Amino acid sequence: MASRIVSLTVNDREEELIARPGASLLSALRDNLGLTAAKRGCAQGACGSCTVLLDERPVPACLVPVETVDSASVRTLEGVAADGELDEVQQAFLEDFATQCGFCTAGMIMTAEALLAGNPDPTRDEVVEAISGNVCRCTGYEPIVAAILDAAERRRAARRTA
Amino acid sequence: MLSKVHLPSSAAEAADLLRGGGWLVGGGTVVMPKVNTGAVPVDDLISLRHAGLGGIRIEQDTVRIGAATTLAEVGQHDGLGFLHPAIRSIASPPVRNLATVGGNLLVPQPHGDLAVALLALDARVDVVSADSTRTVSVCDPVHADEVITEVRFALPKGAWRYRKAMRRKHNSASIVTVAAVVGDEVRIALGGVAPRPIRAHAAERILETTPGAVTEAAEAAREGIEPVDDAYASAWYRTRVLPVHVRRALLGTD
Repeated sequence: MASRIVSLTVNDREEELIARPGASLLSALRDNLGLTAAKRGCAQGACGSCTVLLDERPVPACLVPVETVDSASVRTLEGVAADGELDEVQQAFLEDFATQCGFCTAGMIMTAEALLAGNPDPTRDEVVEAISGNVCRCTGYEPIVAAILDAAERRRAARRTA
Repeated sequence: MLSKVHLPSSAAEAADLLRGGGWLVGGGTVVMPKVNTGAVPVDDLISLRHAGLGGIRIEQDTVRIGAATTLAEVGQHDGLGFLHPAIRSIASPPVRNLATVGGNLLVPQPHGDLAVALLALDARVDVVSADSTRTVSVCDPVHADEVITEVRFALPKGAWRYRKAMRRKHNSASIVTVAAVVGDEVRIALGGVAPRPIRAHAAERILETTPGAVTEAAEAAREGIEPVDDAYASAWYRTRVLPVHVRRALLGTD
């Protein structure tokens, strides 16, 4: 076995970890760094519960061999709430009852963050397409779509008054 | 148990490593599920992420796409707008941020819709092994010791058509995929109806002889297909609906 030391910037913090050959980015986040918001679901990139931002783009962290992304920048749900304050997406999920069991929530929010970063005023269809890789078995998706549209509106309103 | 992940800095280095066995990994969307579950013993991984195979170049009407270019990069490139519907029909945005053009050529049907589009574009595929380089077509097999380096094609002359029938609007495999260039030359490629993307040569000949014979061409698209039953559709259903989707694709209607 040839384990490797990997450096990552995770939620703006420099991190270093020892990766077993073929260990995924998800395993590095959860098992090495103790960041357990991203969930281990299907392990094949189909459920989206492990979605994190890798160099600002959403990816299923279970599909990324962590050794191949040495020195990359990663953002997880733990890095979303600045100074303990929930951001607009989190607040909208909370108030709009967009979570039930919560297993998909971390991935849903990271996918939504990526969508809104590039498209502050998405249509409903664009939201549906954006979360098409995130499976939720509780909500029927409607409250989640509504929460993301609500979050977009909240963020636009916050920008107008800022 | 995985023993090592190699990070070659060139395609030649990757091909050299491949002589000792191992699995090539581009975006990881096909290989990592096997690694994660241990369902298939994988010894060495050879990652193409740092092999210098990314990037899209368009000069005059020739498009060159590095094999490790992601589907998302193709889907965001201004010069390749005609391919954007095909890209958006494949998997989900997070998976498209990882999945590569080269990998899409290798996945078995009913996945690999970009390969269907590239077959309709008559794309050339450059491959290297430790001791040779060659250029193949999209539907030609690539050997286990070869690394795909680049895909090349000319921008379509004539109308571009793309249509994918699936069980839901996003993130589902193909029931039937149709991609076509319709001009003086007609090229129709089909997905979902054989283990690899195939050309509908009989249909092409009919349209080249009689451009208006869309219904006849659509029926002829069944010639040579080898559909299978899977979770998405039965072989019977695929055979039944193929002419419908070929016809709609050719007419550019919904």
